[in-house]
Amino acid sequence: MSKPEPFGVSRRDFLKSAGVGGLATAVTAAGETDVDAQAGPRVVGPGDVPVTLTVNGKRVDLKIEPRVTLLDAIRERVDLTGNKRVCDRGACGACTMIVDGRTVYSCSTLAIEVQGKQIRTVDGLASADGALHPVQQAFCDKDALMCGFCTPGFVMATVALLEKHPNPTAEQARKGLDGNICRCGTFVRVMEAAMASVGKVVARG
Amino acid sequence: MADPKYAWPAKPTLLSTPVKRLDGPEKVTGRARYTYDINRPGMLYGVMVRSPHPHARIVSIDLSAAQKAPGVKAALTAKDPGAKVFYQGDPVAAIAADTEERARDAARLVKVEYERLPHISSEAAALAPDAPAVFPNGNTRKGNADETGDLDAGFKQAAHIVEATYSTHVITHVCLETHGAVCEWDGDKLTAWVTTQGVHQCAQGFAQALGIPQANVRVITQYMGGGFGSKFAPDMQGILCAKLARQAKAPVKLMLDRKEEHLDTGNRPSAFAQIRAGVDSNGRLTAFDARSWGTGGAGAGSGFPLPYIYDFPNRRRQHTDTYINAGQQRAMRAPGHPQGCFLTEILMDELADRVRMDPVEFRVKNLPPAGPNAMWAEYFRRGAQQFGWDKRHATGDSSSGPIKTGMGVSAHRWGGAGRGSQAHVDITSDGGVVVKCGTQDIGTGTRTIVAMVAAETFGLPLSAVKPEIGDTLYPFSGGSGGSTTAASVTPAIRVTSVKALDALFAKVAPTLGAQPDDLVAEGGRIFVKGNSSKGLAWKDACKLIGTEPISVDGKWEDGLSSSGTSGVQFAEAQVDIDTGIVKVTRILAIQDCGLIVDRLTAESQAYGGVIAAVNFALFEDRLLDRSTGQMVNPNMEWYLLAGMSDVPKIDIILNNMPERGVIGIGEPPTVSTASAIANAVRNATGATIRSLPLHPHKVLAALDQERAGGTL
Repeated sequence: MSKPEPFGVSRRDFLKSAGVGGLATAVTAAGETDVDAQAGPRVVGPGDVPVTLTVNGKRVDLKIEPRVTLLDAIRERVDLTGNKRVCDRGACGACTMIVDGRTVYSCSTLAIEVQGKQIRTVDGLASADGALHPVQQAFCDKDALMCGFCTPGFVMATVALLEKHPNPTAEQARKGLDGNICRCGTFVRVMEAAMASVGKVVARG
Repeated sequence: MADPKYAWPAKPTLLSTPVKRLDGPEKVTGRARYTYDINRPGMLYGVMVRSPHPHARIVSIDLSAAQKAPGVKAALTAKDPGAKVFYQGDPVAAIAADTEERARDAARLVKVEYERLPHISSEAAALAPDAPAVFPNGNTRKGNADETGDLDAGFKQAAHIVEATYSTHVITHVCLETHGAVCEWDGDKLTAWVTTQGVHQCAQGFAQALGIPQANVRVITQYMGGGFGSKFAPDMQGILCAKLARQAKAPVKLMLDRKEEHLDTGNRPSAFAQIRAGVDSNGRLTAFDARSWGTGGAGAGSGFPLPYIYDFPNRRRQHTDTYINAGQQRAMRAPGHPQGCFLTEILMDELADRVRMDPVEFRVKNLPPAGPNAMWAEYFRRGAQQFGWDKRHATGDSSSGPIKTGMGVSAHRWGGAGRGSQAHVDITSDGGVVVKCGTQDIGTGTRTIVAMVAAETFGLPLSAVKPEIGDTLYPFSGGSGGSTTAASVTPAIRVTSVKALDALFAKVAPTLGAQPDDLVAEGGRIFVKGNSSKGLAWKDACKLIGTEPISVDGKWEDGLSSSGTSGVQFAEAQVDIDTGIVKVTRILAIQDCGLIVDRLTAESQAYGGVIAAVNFALFEDRLLDRSTGQMVNPNMEWYLLAGMSDVPKIDIILNNMPERGVIGIGEPPTVSTASAIANAVRNATGATIRSLPLHPHKVLAALDQERAGGTL
């Protein structure tokens, strides 16, 4: 599993916005056209600005400060609290979401940076009728959770792993789950759950 | 002792089997609402202001700029001018605002003027005769000497004496859900969602600190993200949260950030001991003399058992608490035992080498008498066979190449008694069963075992019982600490369920033309003993209850639980002597815990305990800068914890002892792992590392010392 850079700001975007006012107070809105870029990046913030996210297939319109993280936007403004805030700086994986098919640490991704992208959180993983995703079912079957606070992140990391490598070796699975930390010590059974899910998850490009 | 009718069933259908935890689906879908996930209408966000200094006097606190900041609805001080702060992170003030980001902005505007004072940041500095007087009652507190037998005679009998200093380090709990609360007032009544290991204990704490009747406080903890001994009281953040909510007249969520969590929510104290110990030529321990010390931070104790387990007939121990300017310790998963175990067990391998005995045989020779709570000899033998101990080489892997492999062993004990939990059971005429108990599930599976015991008693499937826990509206149950929860809660559920079933039998007996005492409940039916056709399905039987439900209170009774567990663990480790990196490859943990309630979740706890101790042995370490008194790694990237690739192959053997009743298992499996790993590293390298953690630089230093003349 690959983790992108902690901030979803490309080098090019960073140079553009830094030239105007610095990353902390001015962020280039995602999805700008090259024509806009030639006219100079639009400065947004520091007050509330409109941000539109696509979360679990649904459009969400928010008015938030540009500094609000993807995790906080979804947890505190959309009230989808499945993914957790734990280390708050991209070290533990409890906030792991899947954005356009890649895992991201949502605590270290700005919400404004992922507009127009497909954001998947643990809250949207089960089907509408409540049937668990095969990975969720495996976690229950193998008791791959205790207090459960790291579990949403582990579930998302496992789903991403199996969508990318439907038939992983044990070594691939271990590496794919190395970005997540559990304090209760569920690792042995998380690994069992991941391997028990092999063959049950559809690959996604 | 409990009435025999309450006894655990001889042939259970659910108990001791692997049962999936009931709240698994809630947790894997993200539907489980932890305190951190409670969002109330109009809710504000609380943030604390804390001392950046390890020791200072507060000259002034000015909230005015913060109060005028955008979105701020409440602000208060936690200390008065003139008061002292004793550690980095000592609470000073708190702010509530409409968003967390604005609350943090405002917190930065609180002006606190400090007069900085000298600080102490290490145990050695606290013990130094010229140390500044930092703590009101002295920088150290010397305990009474504990002495048994005749020390001089013991050392005279010794053929070999080992004299060395051993130590373990401070670690923090690192609860993934940080400490905190959501507080909401309705008039003079407080509802507090708290991430706590004790809802009733927390309600008492709120009432005392806020000066309101405890009856006006409701504490709710449906789900909580780890506590490990650090979450029993509302703490300062909980009280400030309630006060901010009162001032702002709005609900407030105040959850600590990761740095605060490291600084001010407890830690496992350090432990040091300068030990002199003797063994006779037959390999029998003769004498043990230790001067020990440790720190539990600013004014808190640092006790631990020493020597651990093994029988030193003549012994003396003198302990001194040393105080440093750092957050206070709290109970952490088997408090004191991992430390006492390490200090003793490394010494044991050194003594075994002196008399050229195998470490397992040496330990077996020096054990206290065996008993139901002292099964070590059996576990040593069984474990040695299963682990392949006969393949262990003598100290120092003589094979070529930089990767050295070794095996180590260690033993532990724990208490884990039951105590007065209460419960309530309702059975309604539609066949519904609700079991209420004011305990809480801290991740151990308490919700599941509550339902299991009731379902077992009523002869019903697990899904037919609704467990209600995690709320002070339910009958009293104590805090989940000391591995006491299962042993406290399950007897209460058993007693109350049997009473409720008796009441149901009384309703049903006339219809079946039988005496209540002749009825049994099995397989979803109530029938006459020995004549299963003479009975009713559960639902039909419950129709006889009528409008007024069966509603029964009960409590824990003696005889269904007991205390005292023993365990032994074996470890295999690989050490790269070029880099000093240790990799644990295998652990075998043998553990008893009385009657196993849920085999699946009991095993999970054993796995978890072992992995926690891999962290203690190899990775985590609270680092204080001695010059500034600041924690160097208050985060999760430099405060190291194991990831998936660091976890060894772990085998768990749980010894089911139903005749002993229920005993907790949360703590014992974490006690001896680190010692077994350290002994495996010693066996691999031939160098003795007498201090945890086994970080690469310490491994390399020990190897250098060994090459220069020996660590033995």
